[in-house]
Amino acid sequence: MSYELVAGLETHIELSTNTKIFCQCTTAFGGEPNTHCCPICMGMPGTLPKLNKKVVEYAVKAGIAVNCKIRNISKMDRKNYVYPDLPKAYQISQLDKPICYEGYIKLSSGKSIDINRIHIEEDAGKLIHERGGTYIDYNRGGVPLIEIVTEPDFRSIDEVLEYLEKLRLIMKYIGVSDVKMQEGSLRCDVNISVRKKGEEKLGIRTEIKNMNSLNFIAKAMEYEFERHVDILESGGKIEQETRRYDSELNITESMRGKEDADDYRYFRDPDLVNINVSEEEINRLKDELPQLPDEKMHVFMNVYGIPKDDAELLIKYKKIAEYFEEASKDIKNKKLASNYILGQIFRRLPTDWEKEECGISIPPEYLSELISLIESKKITSSMASTALEKMLDSGKSVREFISENDMQGIDDDVLKEICMRAVSENQEAVESYLGGKEKAFSSIIGYIMKETKGKADPQKAAEIVKEIIN
Amino acid sequence: MIKKDEVLKIAKLAKLSVDENEIEQLIEDMSKIIEYADSINNVAETVDVEFDNINNIVNAFNEDIVLDSYDRDEILKNREGGENGYFAIRKSIRG
Repeated sequence: MSYELVAGLETHIELSTNTKIFCQCTTAFGGEPNTHCCPICMGMPGTLPKLNKKVVEYAVKAGIAVNCKIRNISKMDRKNYVYPDLPKAYQISQLDKPICYEGYIKLSSGKSIDINRIHIEEDAGKLIHERGGTYIDYNRGGVPLIEIVTEPDFRSIDEVLEYLEKLRLIMKYIGVSDVKMQEGSLRCDVNISVRKKGEEKLGIRTEIKNMNSLNFIAKAMEYEFERHVDILESGGKIEQETRRYDSELNITESMRGKEDADDYRYFRDPDLVNINVSEEEINRLKDELPQLPDEKMHVFMNVYGIPKDDAELLIKYKKIAEYFEEASKDIKNKKLASNYILGQIFRRLPTDWEKEECGISIPPEYLSELISLIESKKITSSMASTALEKMLDSGKSVREFISENDMQGIDDDVLKEICMRAVSENQEAVESYLGGKEKAFSSIIGYIMKETKGKADPQKAAEIVKEIIN
Repeated sequence: MIKKDEVLKIAKLAKLSVDENEIEQLIEDMSKIIEYADSINNVAETVDVEFDNINNIVNAFNEDIVLDSYDRDEILKNREGGENGYFAIRKSIRG
């Protein structure tokens, strides 16, 4: 009997505000332990938290970007649980009036993953378990988070990964988070259950907590799916519980029985007043949003004629996408700009980080200038490639490497002469071309390009050569 | 009236151990507390419990500007144990 995977996601995203959610300590990553702390984020008696305005703005922006409705009046609640990562023994979060609700993200298949809610809350401190003890650093305590909760709409691991990639890119584009998974600014809890194919009723779910790598998420889900199927096939019953993924052993293990909302004794936080977001405010924030990745993808493919795979690569890095837009603004053949970026330029940015930062040594105008010289047939593409290498080495413009003289190309008579020479000195190639070997032709053109130091227009040279030998 | 298994569940959530002979008394005490708290139900209908906001203050916000955190020695002043600027406790993994 085959089983179907059913999964829902809770994604925690750290917002890139300067300060914490309820006090004005810095949110900088790292730092000596317990140096980004004050009585408010340490939950000391008598302190009064005050909400960071930017947190509300970022949460609303995130909501708009994933098609959520925004609640005009929301409030903060206390979620009580006893664990040393929370010095107050409760986390300030939102229960029944989350700031955003009912959104969706569309996958490339056209399927929508529904978002149930986005709420704002504070992050907990960091516990380090070593040498038989537990050490606590509260620097992260009180860093603002949004939690994005989907409906159980996922039916495969691939859907989960695509959703996460999309979500991550959207958050990066709108600038509310750096979404660095390795620094934990995007962390995921996966709720997973299985059911026999064709069945409507959802199976009992388990939740795998706190994963910060797409690779781990995929592996943990695979393991958990198999575990559920094995239990059901051997006549057992799934326990509803919270589990942890052990990446070294590649297994999930039980952490605790799953609490229900009741167990957290949620109640409204009496220290914090309502959050009102007016329609004008929502519209203002909407206007501040940049073009989102899906829209950009549409324009790149359908207006600029960039192939899908190339467009995806450009869009994957926001700054690269912007560089491309700038460089191709005034040129007709936008694909040429994309080709240079994804080819010669990307070779110089081998790591994701370098592409992310768009560490290109020349401004986009220089690339634009180079391409317009090709478009106006002033230089050949092989001259352009050579020049681009030099430009990237030096950060200088094409004018530094290609003189007016070079740009005039080759006089037609001179070219003809060189072509004739090419034919007479490459008899073997000419014969095999005439014998039907198309490939041999390129070696004749290669000869011409070499002789003219790349200045000849290869298309024109080809025409002349064909004229001569036919 | 609160039930025995509810008392045990609350004890578990609060990480308290409860002896069998304490349970009767706890049931009695906790039931009284709940009964007392339930009296709020009689007045709740007149208050907007969804968004109770007695003084009509909304949007009390901090600006997103970093101020100095506290000196770490102040933050760590009341800790017991710990080293290298950390708080330390008995090994504790949420379970």
